[in-house]
Amino acid sequence: MTAAIEIRGVSKRFGSHLALDNIHLDVRPGELLALLGPSGSGKTSLLRIIAGLEAPDAGQVLFGAEDAAQRRAGEREVGFVFQHYALFRHMTVFENVAFGLRVVPRARRLPRAVIAERVTRLLEMVQLAWLADRMPAQLSGGQRQRVALARALAIEPRVLLLDEPFGALDAKVRKELRRWLRALHEDVKLTSVFVTHDQDEALELADRVVVMSAGRIEQIGGPGEVYTAPASAFVHEFLGDTNRLDCRIEGGRVVLTDGALLGRADAPDGTAVAYVRPHELDVAATREGAAVIRHASTFGPLVRLIVGFGESSLDVAMPVERWVRLGLAVDDRVSLTARYGAVFTRPGQPAVLLRPCIPMNGLRAVPGALGA
Amino acid sequence: MSSVALRTDGSLARPILIALAMLVAGVVLGLPLAIVLVEAFARGPGTYLAALVDPDTIDAIALTLIVALCSVSVTTVFGIAAAWCIARFTFRGRSLLLTLIDLPFSVSPVIAGLVQVLLFGRRGWLGPFLAAHDVRIVFALPGIVLATVFVTLPFVARELMPLMQEQGAEEEEAALSLGASGWQTFRRVTLPNIRFALLTGVLLANARAMGEFGAVSVVSGHIRGATNTMPLQVEILFNDYQIEAAFAVASVLALLALVTLGLKLALERRQSVLLTTKGSAP
Repeated sequence: MTAAIEIRGVSKRFGSHLALDNIHLDVRPGELLALLGPSGSGKTSLLRIIAGLEAPDAGQVLFGAEDAAQRRAGEREVGFVFQHYALFRHMTVFENVAFGLRVVPRARRLPRAVIAERVTRLLEMVQLAWLADRMPAQLSGGQRQRVALARALAIEPRVLLLDEPFGALDAKVRKELRRWLRALHEDVKLTSVFVTHDQDEALELADRVVVMSAGRIEQIGGPGEVYTAPASAFVHEFLGDTNRLDCRIEGGRVVLTDGALLGRADAPDGTAVAYVRPHELDVAATREGAAVIRHASTFGPLVRLIVGFGESSLDVAMPVERWVRLGLAVDDRVSLTARYGAVFTRPGQPAVLLRPCIPMNGLRAVPGALGA
Repeated sequence: MSSVALRTDGSLARPILIALAMLVAGVVLGLPLAIVLVEAFARGPGTYLAALVDPDTIDAIALTLIVALCSVSVTTVFGIAAAWCIARFTFRGRSLLLTLIDLPFSVSPVIAGLVQVLLFGRRGWLGPFLAAHDVRIVFALPGIVLATVFVTLPFVARELMPLMQEQGAEEEEAALSLGASGWQTFRRVTLPNIRFALLTGVLLANARAMGEFGAVSVVSGHIRGATNTMPLQVEILFNDYQIEAAFAVASVLALLALVTLGLKLALERRQSVLLTTKGSAP
């Protein structure tokens, strides 16, 4: 399968800041690809380079087999949805959507009636036909977003690019629109790339996720893959809540800096960093436990605990039923056990699986080391 | 307690301050305007009309309109280009350009006129060259236009810059990505977005261009019927003790200024109406 868009060794510098560092990436035909990363990771710069709104300092962008460098933004047949929508404020919704069809040179321009028909069809698709005569300022955020989408689709682009498509919307609208966009993608199967800093959005929406950090690609993979098999500590930390624990590997045993045994891992001896997600930690009531429950809050079906352990505090999450069964309260002493985890021995290296110890003494206290 | 005291102060201070502002504006700004009109008609409409149909006066009015048209056109094109550059790009010399645009606000117009004479005058730097090619700038229309351009240059640029900076480049980028050419983007997106500020800038520049005295006085040479603009004509008539005629011409000048201000006011009304209807929620 040839790539719809091929990015070969693209670099971009803004002043002294290296925004993109030798990026290689294939976008497959018909897929919905997420560029995920914190702000400043270069994801928006990459999207703008694909769109032709920015020129790379080095490297190539290929559309099919053709180098896009000779094509201006307007000739790339790319639909771009801006973060703040960038609707033309002095035009009605209808005129906004029609814009891309009206600026075509006269010889190739569609007849007026055909343009009107296509715009109406697009507005019906985004469920906004009844707002055709409104001005952008009269619309809600979600409506503006859908107008921007219809406007981008009007030129029948080969690729749809979306910059933080849900960033400016409130949580409920964001969720609805996310589902709606996924359904739309299933319908039209248009090759799409979207930029986001929200891991939930990337994991829920995308066929594949590209995790970026400081101008580099950390990992490319399916949503399940990047979550369960992170290629680097950065990816693990960026995708979801987690607890970071400095540790040592000693003959396959993972030992915390204060001497407590965390688990086992098949890794060479030396210093390492272990990550355990809140739901991978178990608590058990133990009178001489090293840890103490500092705070407990119910969050929907989950109870979130902050558990003090020596100098540090760890996040623990469990179902409400389990919390009720345990019968624990704030200030109770507990022992902690890690069911799973990820151990990173060197930065940029994939994780080694952390397995629980048998017997599961976990983070049980060395007597006398109970801080609190 | 102190806040209560402050509030009592405020309730008194507000009408006093408003009255004071009104009084100063009335005496300093309104009264002279009224006097111009009263004096112009002091000897009846006959004298007034006679003063206006004087050939020299008609020439002065025509020249003023031509000069305003030329210099405001230059100011407008320059203003749009400069504001666009400054709002969209960061480049070396950007702050220098900003400072230069403000120069006419800080430098006396007389100096601008003198510089023209020193540059283009018969004994100026370029004087011999211009004389050899039979080009007249000083004491002719080009000199008057140049001097007026100097004075009006900041008006459009200063009006547009903050607006274009606030609006950002996203709409222009959207137009480009939808296939619009540079010119289409300018005409269909950039220009409509700045139209009100642009018109305001043009009207202000126009008012200034028609009223300019200092710079034009130095470069015009005061040739009656040829290089006299309306402000210069008013001065000449006044110095010739033709007080009624001076006031008649002054009244036309004032009237043109009032029309300009009226247009600006109407424009602002229309803009605010458009914004509120756009702003109303569906």
